[in-house]
Amino acid sequence: MSGLLKKLFLLEIAQGMALTLKVWITGLFDPFRKDNKVIQTRRYPKVPRYSESGFRGLHALAKDENGKMKCVGCGMCAAICPSQCIYIHTAEGPDFKKQVTSYRIEVLRCVYCALCVEACPYGAIVLTEHYEYSDYHREDFDYDMPRLLENWDKYMAGDKGRNYFDKFWLPKARLFSRTKSAS
Amino acid sequence: MEIAGAFDTLLNILGILIKMAVVIGIGMLHVAYATWFERKVIAHMQIRLGPMEVGWHGLLQPIADGVKLLFKEDIIPAKADRYVFMIAPMICFFAAMSSLVVVPFFGSFTLGPYEVKGVLADINIGLLFILAMSSLGAYGLIMAGWASNSKYAFLGGLRSSAQVISYEIAMGLSLVGVMMLSGSMNLSHIVEAQAASSLKWYAFPQFLAFIVFCVAALAETNRTPFDLPEAESELVAGYFTEYSGFRFALFFLAEYLGMIIMASLGTVCFLGGWNPIPGFGWLLPPGVWWFLVKVYALFFMYVWVRTTLPRYRYDQLMAIGWKLMIPLALFNIFATGIWKVLFP
Repeated sequence: MSGLLKKLFLLEIAQGMALTLKVWITGLFDPFRKDNKVIQTRRYPKVPRYSESGFRGLHALAKDENGKMKCVGCGMCAAICPSQCIYIHTAEGPDFKKQVTSYRIEVLRCVYCALCVEACPYGAIVLTEHYEYSDYHREDFDYDMPRLLENWDKYMAGDKGRNYFDKFWLPKARLFSRTKSAS
Repeated sequence: MEIAGAFDTLLNILGILIKMAVVIGIGMLHVAYATWFERKVIAHMQIRLGPMEVGWHGLLQPIADGVKLLFKEDIIPAKADRYVFMIAPMICFFAAMSSLVVVPFFGSFTLGPYEVKGVLADINIGLLFILAMSSLGAYGLIMAGWASNSKYAFLGGLRSSAQVISYEIAMGLSLVGVMMLSGSMNLSHIVEAQAASSLKWYAFPQFLAFIVFCVAALAETNRTPFDLPEAESELVAGYFTEYSGFRFALFFLAEYLGMIIMASLGTVCFLGGWNPIPGFGWLLPPGVWWFLVKVYALFFMYVWVRTTLPRYRYDQLMAIGWKLMIPLALFNIFATGIWKVLFP
């Protein structure tokens, strides 16, 4: 009898319809809001998605307080890189110092493991939180030294770059006592 | 005298032409925005946004879709029955459009010396006409299925014919109660009889018939949960699998027009037509606005049901039609008859 009544008055259907109506009403004004509360659709290119802090995105070469490149060209990052996409060339500078003449990262081959960041004794390479760097040519993903340094100014300027290692990595750079003559 | 008579005839024809243009124009606009409304409501119920890019909140999306369909390539399969293939969508569209002729949108108002009726053809068999036209539309589906020479389309056509035949009976029987209470098949008279009745809406004394009508209307227009003729997970797209471009658009228009007509029929026969909702008469006088509000509400029900319910299995569909809906409708007729005899 109760089964027949359920069938006759479409009880379960009514329950389901109440659910959809509830969802509809709670999300009714979401399309007019900047941040959706109920509706899950992300309007990505129009409303950019934030990246979590510590996200491993595009590479950058760190600069110190004076705006000079931290990298000394030791080649640790290139040695540990599992996809072997870092190319470093060094030469003797004018005052008999080692000088990095070329630092290249093939970003398309990178696997974003951040082992280079971990390996670097000077905290000279970082992965920024920037992730929108699509381009039209393969060559454009071959980031050379000026572009990597520019990335630092663009995405790691100020406190962000200063605190990056303290926040996300054991600051290995501090385990090494750096003297003037070391670099 | 002669000239005055001729002038009157001419004016009459002009009036009819204007009315036709208005009904077709507003009808097509409603169809276009019915798709937008449906997509929006379904999207929000599924916590999505729906169309947002073309125009403000996707308001121009139906127009963009229409333009796209117009410019698409019109493909007729090599092994299709060419002429039947071409006629089928026209039959569907014609059947749906001609149903609009007998739907009374409002009572009547006087424009100078002329009385403007809210219906194109105030015929005494309006109800029968709509039922006839809605089943004529099924011919279009079957012909489309047959002419496509594709097994998916053919199965879709067969399913639609079986479904429409079974649910037509339930729908017709559910409307018999309304005819008995109002004593007329003229849709305008049905609305007037409802306004004169004690409960104002036939949906109250005929609630069983109303439920049967709503379910049968879903099945008649091939909507979820009875959309087996176009079950996309089984039959690609059903009877219009092989159609593209504007022929596809005609099927699409016919389907949505059918929904709007079924909503209008429900409004006229059960919800008091153009008369105000009981208790809200102070808000607005009787008129086309009340009719539209009720049609929109019923259309919303269509969409709401579509979001909520999964598709029935084919044997379930038949079982509901023959074993539940038809007996219920018959019982309703019987009860209405007894009621009429006891309280004449």
